[in-house]
Amino acid sequence: MATQVKDVIIKPDAPSALLLEKHADYIAAYGSKKDDYEYTLSEYLRMSGIYWGLTVMDLMGQLPRMNRQEIIDFIRACQHECGGISASIGHDPHLLYTLSAVQILCLYDSVDAIDVDKVVEYVKGLQQENGSFAGDKWGEIDTRFSFCAVATLALLGKMDRINIDKAVEFVSSCMNFDGGFGCRPGSESHAGQIYCCTGFLALTGQLHLVNADLLGWWLCERQLLSGGLNGRPEKLPDVCYSWWVLASLKIIGRIHWIDKAKLRAFILACQDEETGGFADRPGDMVDPFHTLFGVAGLSLLGDERIKPVNPVLCMPEDVLQRIGLQVDLLS
Amino acid sequence: MAETEEEVDVLVQRVVKDITNAFKRNPNIDECGVIPCPEARYNRSPIVLVENKLGVESWCVKFLLPYVHNKLLLYRQRKHWLDREALMDITCTLLLLNPDFTTAWNVRKELLQSGVLHPEKDLYLGKLALSKFPKSPETWIHRRMLDKSTKQQQQQQHYGETEQAGAERSQQLSDQLARTLHQEMKVCSDAACRYPSNYNAWSHRIWVLQHMAKGNIKVFHDELSSMRLWVSMHVSDHSGFHYRQFLLKELSTELSQTSACIPTIMTSPQHQSSTVPSSCSHNHSHTQANGELPGAEAAEDERQLGFHTVFQLFHEEMELCSDLIQSFPGHETLWSHRRHVFYLWHNLRKEHQQHCSINGGIMSGHPKDSDLCLPDGDAQSCAVRGESVNGQRQASEPMEVDGASLPEPCDSKRLKRGVLLPGPPALPSEHSFVSGVLDRCSNPEQRRFALAYKKWLDTVIGQQP
Ligand SMILES: [Zn+2]
Repeated sequence: MATQVKDVIIKPDAPSALLLEKHADYIAAYGSKKDDYEYTLSEYLRMSGIYWGLTVMDLMGQLPRMNRQEIIDFIRACQHECGGISASIGHDPHLLYTLSAVQILCLYDSVDAIDVDKVVEYVKGLQQENGSFAGDKWGEIDTRFSFCAVATLALLGKMDRINIDKAVEFVSSCMNFDGGFGCRPGSESHAGQIYCCTGFLALTGQLHLVNADLLGWWLCERQLLSGGLNGRPEKLPDVCYSWWVLASLKIIGRIHWIDKAKLRAFILACQDEETGGFADRPGDMVDPFHTLFGVAGLSLLGDERIKPVNPVLCMPEDVLQRIGLQVDLLS
Repeated sequence: MAETEEEVDVLVQRVVKDITNAFKRNPNIDECGVIPCPEARYNRSPIVLVENKLGVESWCVKFLLPYVHNKLLLYRQRKHWLDREALMDITCTLLLLNPDFTTAWNVRKELLQSGVLHPEKDLYLGKLALSKFPKSPETWIHRRMLDKSTKQQQQQQHYGETEQAGAERSQQLSDQLARTLHQEMKVCSDAACRYPSNYNAWSHRIWVLQHMAKGNIKVFHDELSSMRLWVSMHVSDHSGFHYRQFLLKELSTELSQTSACIPTIMTSPQHQSSTVPSSCSHNHSHTQANGELPGAEAAEDERQLGFHTVFQLFHEEMELCSDLIQSFPGHETLWSHRRHVFYLWHNLRKEHQQHCSINGGIMSGHPKDSDLCLPDGDAQSCAVRGESVNGQRQASEPMEVDGASLPEPCDSKRLKRGVLLPGPPALPSEHSFVSGVLDRCSNPEQRRFALAYKKWLDTVIGQQP
């Protein structure tokens, strides 16, 4: 049986220059020309969609092109009695969208638009006895939600309101032999979960719990010959996984272990020269999600046309400076 | 063509009813999908039922989805009233088209809580949604919620009864748990086949075992046996192999603590399911051993027997891994599996050596730092093994899984090994395995992975304290 190498081939005519203006136009126009069907399909994650779009615009210095007041009003309408925030109006509140909403409000320097105390109560109420966090009142447990909880509270300056020791204990229990993390104890290591867990440990000041060399090794093995990174062995490279792996490497101080030039070439090849935006892989359909992670990845790789991005919160560093949040990384 | 609001209204209500009726007409529908069909055909419903497959013609989806979506959101905002029947129909249609619409699942969770919706119905709906969207995180999350409440209900029923009635019922309850377990494993398998390295499916499977079969050596062992063929046919499926690593880890932990169930496992290693009673979870009674243990009062003997079972499991796993690596060169997943299995084994062996150096057990004659640690010639351990390993296949027999043979390895490793009793993996044998691959194989990927494994052995294992 012949081996099928799971990777992509970057064509010689693939984009190799960063098309910032195109990307800004793409995001600015996104949403205005969507039909009913497309809109409804993704409405369950609208709040995160807005966060992706606004963050990438801010990283490109184009935030003023977006409708600030409309977005703030929308977020306000999405806060529920319990304090949690939903993806859109009429949807149920969830930690995922509570974090996205708080991130957006930080970009706009207007967290006071919502009831912050209630958000804090909501997050606090989702912590379980073993330190883990449920995503909403229905009780699903995942290390992603641990990250959402501490990231939300860190941005609001209220980290002391939860039991940090217990929270750290739970996330540590999800560490695997390869240095990585999964969604729950015993679950497979996964680049997205590793990003959440290293980010969580950075925010709680516990990065010393990570075996940085071992985890760094696993993360570097995600780089394929095309230069792109995958999220697990024998998966295809993907711009979003490239961000999660790269950001994790940055958090644990091992970003220099991968071939940055090749990764940059891969990310640039995922641009669509006509429509603007980034796709998961060269030649695929673009979307705001991969556009953010493409641009953020290039920022971490040192592109000077993009604002420096914070690897833990995936937000512009200047925003975090403004709110006085400093996150220590491993060196 | 339906274009005005009223026309869409009529059309969509008819389609939702058609879907509901299709389920009434055929309760065995096992798959849902969208049939590519850009144009409406007049006088014909866009809902097509062929045998057990339910299809929705694509032209109507763009009307159908926004309509039911908005209906539900209006209900959620208390701007539009829907009775329970309508809520169930609408959320069903919605979730088959867009199973990650969290709020629609939540509406059904509320219906479940109020008792108007039976959990079985939602397990079924979830299964259908997964037939088209095998990764759908929200569908898996909903399943876990259902499984949790099923388990709680059973426990409550159990507590509520008198002791006698409880005892009569306990068999039935465990049957029900076994059925749920079986059903969940099946759903996970189907989803794993539909999408490679399906993280959500495999982590659900792990969750189910942790919550419904914790400590049940029989269940874990059956899972390990029954997945053997599957992973051999999916050598790139990292999640499938991770599942085996999880099973091995749990089994080695449990078996190191108790050996009460070992005889049942050891006498039928390749014939899992149905032949053995299913209730040996955490039953530490000595009678479970059916007199197969010599001097069953000796807890230390049991402990040693537990370790030998673990040795056996690790030996078989490394054999399987070697065979697959040689039969399917260049698969990162297989090399990653090798790392994990070796790591688990290596740590377990260290613990065992520590235990034995204190208690003077079977490892006592061996230096602590020796890699060749299984005492093949040790009289005491042979006595234990001789009684219990009867019927166990020898390492030199061809591998068979449920009657299906695996591809033969491309070298004569087994012959070279040539020992009757399994030798567990050790550092020198791992190094010679790598050298063997490098000597014989020209596949560049395979060589790269072999070299990475060697480096991993040297740094991660070699530098351990
Ligand atoms: Zn992606």
